[in-house]
Amino acid sequence: ALSSLPFPQLVSALHNLTRHVVYRGLTRAEDILSLFPENFHQNLKNLLTKIILENISAWRNEAQASQISLPRLVDLDWRVDIKTSSDSISRMAVPTCLLQLKIQEDAALCGNSPVVSAVTVELSKETLDTMLEGLGRIRDQLSAVANK
Amino acid sequence: SSQQFSALTEVLFRFLMEPREVERFLTQLSDFATMNKISLGPLKNIVKSILLVPSGALKRNLSSEQVRADFIALGLSEEKASYFAEQWKVNSPTLTRLAVDQTLMINQLIDMEWKFGVTAGSSELEKVGSIFLQLKLVIKKGSQMENVYVELTLPQFYSFLHEMERVKTSLESFS
Repeated sequence: ALSSLPFPQLVSALHNLTRHVVYRGLTRAEDILSLFPENFHQNLKNLLTKIILENISAWRNEAQASQISLPRLVDLDWRVDIKTSSDSISRMAVPTCLLQLKIQEDAALCGNSPVVSAVTVELSKETLDTMLEGLGRIRDQLSAVANK
Repeated sequence: SSQQFSALTEVLFRFLMEPREVERFLTQLSDFATMNKISLGPLKNIVKSILLVPSGALKRNLSSEQVRADFIALGLSEEKASYFAEQWKVNSPTLTRLAVDQTLMINQLIDMEWKFGVTAGSSELEKVGSIFLQLKLVIKKGSQMENVYVELTLPQFYSFLHEMERVKTSLESFS
């Protein structure tokens, strides 16, 4: 008897319902209940609404996390080295920074097996100072936006 | 004569300080040759050997006394060798810095551009209102430039800023 139920249509209908709730950002039980047709089974309607309400934030977070984006930063490591010698000069003590960024390609494109690549860059002290100036400006602009 | 020698020394050091100005250096050399009625060919050879001394001095971190001794060993008069060594001493901080700047850098970060904005909505979420930050890093790989694009969330940005400030403290403690 179970196998005669139209499962594909059932799953599809449920999927559409939950997607709609997530898309519209519905959070109140009344809003979700009002989506069901008039003669829908009362207890089933309440049960489905309860389950949906329980899962909404998780679904919204997941939708936001898997949103299309540029490759995302997943990790950052750094190291400071002191350069002591080179082919052009035999003695020096120049500190330099190595920065490694682990970047994940767009989740939407990779499905369940995201591709993570590592980029290692070297920064001199001057470059770092310039970079910090830039990051400081970003921070100031962000505060200005937050305070509006 | 010592006047000619100091003029020649000046030309040489100007070139050492700005090694990219090859054209200018060759022009100044040929002007010197004409003014002093020397033929350019032999002059160029002499200059080539003289130029070896400063770069060798840098490679071996020689003091100005050692540079002077080297020149005397090459056959230069004491007076001229001392003059050259003196010029070397005056210019060596700049020359050292030029040599350090030439030191190998791996995947050097050349530039950073950014933009940030608000994600208003998406195909999954009608209203979002989340802030994103996008960075473009320009990296020199060998002789080519490569652009790396990366997106950061706000917490990641603050963490990144904090880490970079730690790096700065570390670099400064070693300078």
